[in-house]
Amino acid sequence: MAVITLAYRYLERLTGIGRETIIERIPMIGADIERIEEDHLDVEFFPDRPDLYSAEGVARAMRGFLGIEEGMPVYSVRPSGITFSVDPGLADIRPCLGSAVIRNVDLDEEAIESLMSLQEALHWAIGRGRGKVAIGIHDLDAVTPPFRYIASPRDRSFVPLDFDHEMTLDEILTDHPKGRDYARLVERFQRFPLIIDAYDRVLSFPPIINGELTRVTTATENILLDCTGTDRGAVMTAVNIICTAFTEAGAAIETVTVEGEEMPTLAPAERIVSVEECASLLGISLSPEYMTDLLARMRFGAEADGDSRIRVLVPCYRADILHDWDIFEDVAIAYGFENFDAVLPTTSTIAEEHLTTTIAGAARSVMVGLGYIEMIPFTLTNDRVLYENMQRVPSPGTLRLLHPISEEQTIVRTDLLPLLMEMLQANKHRELPQRLFAVGDVVEDCATYRRVAAVSIHPGADFSEAYAAADVLCRELSLPCTVAESTDPAFIDGRRGDIIVSDRIVGVFGEIHPPVLKAFDLEHPVAALALDLRAVQGYPALPGTPSPGGR
Amino acid sequence: MELTLNEKRLLVALEPAGSADAATLADMMDTRREAVVQYANLAGERGLVDVERHVSRRYTLTGEGRNYAGRGLPERQVFESFKDEIPMRSLQAHPLAKIAIGWMRKKGWITIRGGIVQKAGDASYGPDETAFALAGENGTIEDGEGIADLLRRGLVQEEEAVTYTISITPRGRELLAAGLDLQEEVGTLTRDQILSGTWRDLPLRRYDVTKLPRRAYPGKIHPYQRLLDEMRRVLLDMGFTEIAGGIVQSSFWNFDALFQPQDHPAREMQDTFFLGERWPLPAGYERVRNMHEHGGETSSTGWGGVWSIEKAEQCVLRTHTTCLSIQHLAEHKKPPVKAFGIGRVYRREATDPTHLAEFEQLEGIVMDEGVNFRHLLGFLKEFYAKMGFEKVRFRPGYFPYTEPSVEPEVYVDGLGWVELGGAGIFRQEVTAPFGIEHPVLAWGLGISRVAMLRLGLRDLRHLYRSDVEWIRQMPIYGWRR
Repeated sequence: MAVITLAYRYLERLTGIGRETIIERIPMIGADIERIEEDHLDVEFFPDRPDLYSAEGVARAMRGFLGIEEGMPVYSVRPSGITFSVDPGLADIRPCLGSAVIRNVDLDEEAIESLMSLQEALHWAIGRGRGKVAIGIHDLDAVTPPFRYIASPRDRSFVPLDFDHEMTLDEILTDHPKGRDYARLVERFQRFPLIIDAYDRVLSFPPIINGELTRVTTATENILLDCTGTDRGAVMTAVNIICTAFTEAGAAIETVTVEGEEMPTLAPAERIVSVEECASLLGISLSPEYMTDLLARMRFGAEADGDSRIRVLVPCYRADILHDWDIFEDVAIAYGFENFDAVLPTTSTIAEEHLTTTIAGAARSVMVGLGYIEMIPFTLTNDRVLYENMQRVPSPGTLRLLHPISEEQTIVRTDLLPLLMEMLQANKHRELPQRLFAVGDVVEDCATYRRVAAVSIHPGADFSEAYAAADVLCRELSLPCTVAESTDPAFIDGRRGDIIVSDRIVGVFGEIHPPVLKAFDLEHPVAALALDLRAVQGYPALPGTPSPGGR
Repeated sequence: MELTLNEKRLLVALEPAGSADAATLADMMDTRREAVVQYANLAGERGLVDVERHVSRRYTLTGEGRNYAGRGLPERQVFESFKDEIPMRSLQAHPLAKIAIGWMRKKGWITIRGGIVQKAGDASYGPDETAFALAGENGTIEDGEGIADLLRRGLVQEEEAVTYTISITPRGRELLAAGLDLQEEVGTLTRDQILSGTWRDLPLRRYDVTKLPRRAYPGKIHPYQRLLDEMRRVLLDMGFTEIAGGIVQSSFWNFDALFQPQDHPAREMQDTFFLGERWPLPAGYERVRNMHEHGGETSSTGWGGVWSIEKAEQCVLRTHTTCLSIQHLAEHKKPPVKAFGIGRVYRREATDPTHLAEFEQLEGIVMDEGVNFRHLLGFLKEFYAKMGFEKVRFRPGYFPYTEPSVEPEVYVDGLGWVELGGAGIFRQEVTAPFGIEHPVLAWGLGISRVAMLRLGLRDLRHLYRSDVEWIRQMPIYGWRR
């Protein structure tokens, strides 16, 4: 998530309102306040509103929301006469380029800091970690147009930002910190994207690093913006957001001609929306005039288009308006979430519990009746707990995580019993006897189903106790089962039984094998049982279970 | 005042002497000394006897001490083994020389000059030797002068002896004089006694209700499960039908069907547990593809770009229960639909006190003709109120599959406003491909968050790897933080 630091002084200057009002109202345009500090505020804005990732953008939205300046901000552009060519060789590498010239910037250290943080937030939110969009900001006066965006050989060299000597593009990928961070985005290509000026001087090696030559400093007066990427829409959104933010701060925008196209236009998009659709979605009564007012507060251009429709101009920096309902949400925000009267609909419905819950509840009540305490173990576990400690062979249907986050959690459980053994281990220092049970989901061959398991540890725990408990469970769940001697290696030979329903082994019970006890660091006998609840009559198949082996 | 039979017998045993030690009384009453002390303490609480506890320290010889017993301390033995003087070298041949020479010098019995050991000064018996001799004769010795030295030298060891003297009080005498019924008391009634009616004439032992019984622990539903059941109950009360589904989902159902763009950060391996398994797409998946690529038949622009079947087929551990909601809606297009699900969801997060890779999520949906944003807020208010959160407020939020989106906050004493869950109306990009024609109100919340608030937990892991003692101590009803 993008957390933006907003200095009160700057925000107060841009909005003309006090910090108390800002702090109070900012959450109501859609933001989470992270920290309130002496001189600034850290605010998290949502990923669909990258236009709020700068103080200028926030001020623009707040001025509208608070009724200080409503309607769509109009941005004018002039041609700079600068051209930018795009090498067709980039088509399969990084084809899209957006650019603009930003004149008369007035940057202090703080402003540069803020610019960098906007850039980083955009890289994250729109750029998807620079893959989709990467942004370069250059001191225009250090280079000479026309500029060229080319697919360059990998052995070309220049001085990258923060370094004092030339490096080849390949060297940058291995030796420059940014190169290492982002190498994965370009390393598969024969040639690399590069931006050069009229004298072949390198401005940037997108999406990796800029050249030291065009470093932006407090002395910079004019900026050349480059946005490169793989998605034209996203590239232009980034250009629009940066240019309009600079405009809010007093700069002037000039266009660049990229492959014959003059950009940016900073022009709004148009949508015709229905007042009735909005009113019925939000559950409020709206006149076209009222809706127009509300939209103006959200900085849209809006005017009634007949009696029932509104022509909406969407400012160029709004990346989140995909659908009419996105506009309706802004109507709701302007209306004020606190002003909605919450009501319940009158439609009557009859509730129904899911059958798996009913069956699990029955198993629970049996085990509680037998004096067992419930546990809710994790579903993620590992081979050691699930199989090795139990002396069992791994089930071929075991689900394995492709990228586990710890060695403790690498597979999804296929049984609950080993996890209860782990619980006994964790509770070794607690008073005996301990009788624990669990009812929960397991996954085998991609199918999720419920099992129940129980363990009892104390000096007298034995086969008879396990058999008695298993017998109770089977009778109370009306299982039409038989019992046969088991071969489950987790139990002692001659002290283990399988529960069988329709020729299928659906459960096991008995006395845990001493090496298994030792593996779980337990010092007393354990009587245990486990049962597949699919054996219970009427257990429903869960919808949408993938067919096994569908790899 | 009802005495136990044993107290009565104690008073009888005390009658002749008036006072005796516990060991003597144990002999008289044919029981153990500890039992006598126990009866005496009971009678003592009633003021019938006085119990005096004496602790005495005695000293017995250690193994080393016993070696010297009768012969004297090493320095005395060596001192007496030579006349006025002796060469050091010869003296060192004595088996006790090593210990003795140092002590002889320390006690000033000898001087050593030029390799010659010479007796000097007064070598009379010190208190340590006197005590040692006495201990040797009796096997034990009471505390006294010289003992400390012997203790330090490891020649004697301390033993603590506790004796009890029990004496009858005037009140005890009074009771005794009035006469005591020494008939055996009955603890557990037998079947015969009940059926025959003889229980009427039996002295039934009375029990002291101020003494706590032995702790018994019942079988119990886990406190967290009770919370889940409570939430389920609330939703059933509100007329919602429960849904359930698989933990393994295709990316299609987990993401694409919910209009999460294929390049969304949540779909990277850093955040989601991906599996090697693939899951064929359902019939009609093209409508979802079209929605992503250009917005299908709606007013949406879609995400643009090319939608990949490959990506949609890859299986994940579900990252939310919303994947179950959309599948339920795809199967139930006729309004009204009110459904909820509670299930385990997975995020690829390192485990710490406030983050888990798996936790429970609750999700509710309402699809009906004419339902709107105000109804969504209405359901949220009602649900949270039933969960005990009376004060609720709403802020704009963002979730990829809802528009408008809401972040509900509840007021918790001591914490203030706490964000709890998320809600919104399903985007048309989500509902249109499945032919769902009416608005779908949806909300969800991570239940572990509620569990922390309600169960007073600081570490979420305790929900899933629980201390048995915590569950034993947590009351089934009525406990609220």
